[in-house]
Amino acid sequence: MKERDTRDQETGDKWEVQLRKGCLELAILAALWDGRRYGLEILRRLESDSDLIVSEGTVYPLLSRLKALGLVRSEWVASDAGHPRKYYALTHAGKQRAMEMAAIWARFSSSMSKLLAPLAKENR
Amino acid sequence: MNTTSDTQRRIDAYLSRLRGLLRGVKDEEVREIVEELRSHIMDKAAADGEMTSAGVDAALAALGSPEDLASQYMTHNLLARAEVSRSPVQILKSLFRWASLSVGGFFVLIGSVVGYSLGVVFLLGAVAKLFHPRTAGLWTYRDSAGDLAISLRLGFGSVPGGGKDVLGWWIVPIGWLAGGGLVMLTTHVAVWSVRRYRRSRVLP
Repeated sequence: MKERDTRDQETGDKWEVQLRKGCLELAILAALWDGRRYGLEILRRLESDSDLIVSEGTVYPLLSRLKALGLVRSEWVASDAGHPRKYYALTHAGKQRAMEMAAIWARFSSSMSKLLAPLAKENR
Repeated sequence: MNTTSDTQRRIDAYLSRLRGLLRGVKDEEVREIVEELRSHIMDKAAADGEMTSAGVDAALAALGSPEDLASQYMTHNLLARAEVSRSPVQILKSLFRWASLSVGGFFVLIGSVVGYSLGVVFLLGAVAKLFHPRTAGLWTYRDSAGDLAISLRLGFGSVPGGGKDVLGWWIVPIGWLAGGGLVMLTTHVAVWSVRRYRRSRVLP
């Protein structure tokens, strides 16, 4: 019985990891919506404004992918810290993609909420 | 003073290990990746004002091992490049990377190599006919065992006795259409497979 509990727990964790990963692209695009940011700023924004606990080693390769896909562009900007920082900003295509994803997200999340309403009552 | 050079050395060692692992990524991109991470580590390690040895350790640990990081960069970059690229060379490079990651990738690579090779042979056949009108083309003949054999010849060497040029000059338009079509079809199937793979893995 205990073994089964552990297994169920693992399945739940795995599902949560996949869910978070699936949302990460939208979260990053959204974090850039109101202006350019560098990697660490994006990470801090995700930490403060969302429940997404993101590993740093995941965000940088993903930013590089978003750039290769033409959704963001980057530029190096000198800083007071003594070293330059790489800032990312949404391209036109990136803005469109973010809006499309946000619309899909809104539809999906409202239909799931309806379906899950009875479970939420139970959890309370 | 001593601590500073020691922390710098650790950052350099991490980044140079990463640089060595980023195979198949363009030099310019490797430089960008390394400089961006250096800037990140320095910001992170100096979050409380001064860069400390413990801060550097924590920053490097949070980034994960250079191996994991390099693998993510290579997968993301190459798959992304295949998705936006229509160049067979770029697509094949990406498929080599994918083939090293999964069995599915291996089969898509084999299929694409066959598709592109056949396409190129048809295109070559169409071109060769213009230079070797008598010997190039799609020929059928009886082989030594008496079985019917079919071969697409580029016009080098003589045609086996009793051979028949099936298409004649038609090889030119047919070769162009079939060759070009095969190359395009292979590209589409490969790009479609890469997209499916990325989505199935929920690679963000």
